[in-house]
Amino acid sequence: MTVGRHLVLPAVGLAAALGAAIALPYVADRFIVNVATLALTFALLALSINLLGGYAGLASLGHAGIMAVAAYGLAVVALDGGGVVAQVTVALLLGVLTGGLFGILSMRTSGVYFLMATLAQGMVVWGLSIRLTSVTGGENGLRGLERPALVEPYWALYYLAVAVVVLGIAAMWVITRSPFGLVLRGVEGNEARLAMLGYAVNRFKVAAFMLSGVLAGAAGVLFAYYNRFVSPSAAGFLTSGKAVLMVLLGGAGTLLGPVVGALLITAVENVMSLHTERWPTVLGLLYILTVLFAPQGLMGLGRDLVARLRPARPGATPGPAPPDEPTPDPPPPASLDAIGGRQPARQGDGQ
Amino acid sequence: MSGTLFLTQLLNALSFASLLFFLASGLTLIFGLMNVVNLAHGSFYLLGGLIGLTAVRATGSFWIGILAGGIGVAAFGWVTERLLLRRIRGQELPEVLLTLGLALVVSDVATVLWGTSTSTVPQPGYLSGVVELGSLPYSRYRLFLIACAVVVGLVLAHLHRRTRYGALIRAGVDDRETVAALGVDIQRVFTGAFLVGSALAGVGGVIGGAVLGLQPGQEVEILLRTLAVIIIGGVGSLSGAALGSLFVGLVTTFGQTLLPELSFFLLFAPMALVLVLRPQGLLGRQT
Repeated sequence: MTVGRHLVLPAVGLAAALGAAIALPYVADRFIVNVATLALTFALLALSINLLGGYAGLASLGHAGIMAVAAYGLAVVALDGGGVVAQVTVALLLGVLTGGLFGILSMRTSGVYFLMATLAQGMVVWGLSIRLTSVTGGENGLRGLERPALVEPYWALYYLAVAVVVLGIAAMWVITRSPFGLVLRGVEGNEARLAMLGYAVNRFKVAAFMLSGVLAGAAGVLFAYYNRFVSPSAAGFLTSGKAVLMVLLGGAGTLLGPVVGALLITAVENVMSLHTERWPTVLGLLYILTVLFAPQGLMGLGRDLVARLRPARPGATPGPAPPDEPTPDPPPPASLDAIGGRQPARQGDGQ
Repeated sequence: MSGTLFLTQLLNALSFASLLFFLASGLTLIFGLMNVVNLAHGSFYLLGGLIGLTAVRATGSFWIGILAGGIGVAAFGWVTERLLLRRIRGQELPEVLLTLGLALVVSDVATVLWGTSTSTVPQPGYLSGVVELGSLPYSRYRLFLIACAVVVGLVLAHLHRRTRYGALIRAGVDDRETVAALGVDIQRVFTGAFLVGSALAGVGGVIGGAVLGLQPGQEVEILLRTLAVIIIGGVGSLSGAALGSLFVGLVTTFGQTLLPELSFFLLFAPMALVLVLRPQGLLGRQT
C-alpha cells in the first residue's frame, strides 16, 4: 500500500512526460524539435555520468571523450561505406571499450584525483581528435555523414532519441535497483569496507564504467546523426563539464534528474543564444548558483518540497538525507577521534 | 633539425616553461593545500594580462602593469575564496564545478570589456629586440621571462622552506587536519595561498601577454597545460611544478615540430598515466 502511494506521483508524472514527448513534433516547429533532440542526446550522456557519479560517487570530467570516440567511430565506418548496423555496432562497442579503459585507468584514484584522471582521459581523446588529422580530419572534423533513411527526417530522429532515452532510463532503473547497483552505492559509501566484505570492488567499477560507456556510446550515435558531422569540440572538457552540470542541476543519484538537467540546460542554452551573446556568462552563473544553492539538484528540491507539503504520517520513512550537505568547518582543536576517523576515507586519494 | 634551430627551440621551450611555472607554482600549492583544483586559474591569467594591458596603456609603465595585474587578480582570488569556495569546502565536485563556472563568467566578461581580438602587452623598449648569444640571435624579452621565472622560483622556494608561512603550507599539504588541530587557523592559510597563487597567475598574464598576446579562448589551453604540469610534477610540490613546466614546455615546443599529430597526446597521456601509476606525481610526497 505504501509502495503504491509512493509510485502514484512518479507514474503520473512519467506518463505525462512521455505523452508530451510524443506530442511535441505535432505542436512545435522544427527548431524546437531539433533542440529537443539535442537535449535528449545530452540526456543520455548525463545518464551515463550519473551511473558513475550519482551512485558510485565517481563523477567523471572526461565522459564527452567516450561519446566522441563512439561518434568518430560511427563517422569513420559510415564514410567508409559501412551500413547502419555496422556503424551503430562499432560506435557502441567503442563506447564500451573506451568506458572500460577509462575505468581501468582511473581505478586507483578517488576524489579530486579521479576528477583529474578522467579530465586527462577526455583530453587525450580531444588531443587526438584535433591533431590526428589522418583519422579524424583535425579541426574540420569528419563531414558528409548521412543519416540512415529511416531517421532522415528531423522528427524521426527525434522519436529515435526519445526511444533511446526511455530505454536508457529503464536500464538505469533496473541497474540501480539490482544487487549490482547496491554495490555501486557501497563504493560511494565506504569502498574499503566493501572490499573487506569480499567484493571485487575494482571489477564492479570497471563494469560500471563499461555500462556507462554503452550509454555514452548511444549518445555518440545520436550526436553524430544529429549534427551529420563530428568535430573535436564534442570531446572537449567544456562538453564534459556541461554534462556533469546537467546531472548536478537535475539531481545526482536520481533516476530522472540527469534528463531534467539536460533538457533544461540545452533549452536555456539554445533559447538564450538567440537573444544574447552572453550565454557563457549565464551558463557560468548556472554552475555557481547550482553548486551553492541546489547541490542536491532540482529533483532533490522537489522531493524536499513534496515531503514538506505532505502531512507527516506516523511511521513515514524520511527521504534519504541530501548527500552533499555543506559541512561546517572543523573546529581547530578537533578531537583525536575525528582525525583518526577521517583517515580511511581519504585513503587512496593520492596523499 | 639544424643546430641553431634546435637551440632556438630549446630556448623557446625554456621560456614557455617559465611562463607555465608562474601558473603552476600557485595552482599546485592551492591544489596540494586545499585539495581544490581551480579551473579558473587560466582565466585568472587572462584577466591579469588584460588588467595589466590597460594599466600599461594608461601609464606607459610595464612594471605598473605587472603590479596592477598581480594585485587585481589577487583581489579577485581573495573574493573568490572568501565568498564562494569557503561555502563548499571539502566537497570536491562542487568546488571544481564552481571554478569551472567562474572560468566561463570571467572569460565572457573579459570579451565584453576588452573585445575578442588578440592584444599584446607592449614590451618595454630596453627588453625588446634581440640579444646575440654567441652567434645565436635570441629575443631579449624571452630571456627576461626565463630570468623572471628563476627569480620567482627562488623566492618562492625560500618562502616555502625558510618562513613560518611556508612551514604552515608544507604542513597543510601533508595533513590539514593535524595542522588545524594544533590550533592554526587553517582558513587563513588557505586564503593566503589562494591569494598568492592568484597573484602569480595575474603577473604571469602580464608577462606572458607580452609574448603570446592575450585572447579570450586561450585560457582553456593555458589551464589544461598547467594542469598537466602540476599532475605530472606532483601536486603541492614547487620543484614538481618546475620539473613539470620543463616537461610540458619541451613537449609543447618540440612536439609541435616533430610529431604534430601526437602533440596533445604526448601532453595528456603522460598526465593520465602518472595518475594511474604514481598519483602523487613525479616529485609529490606520499604520506
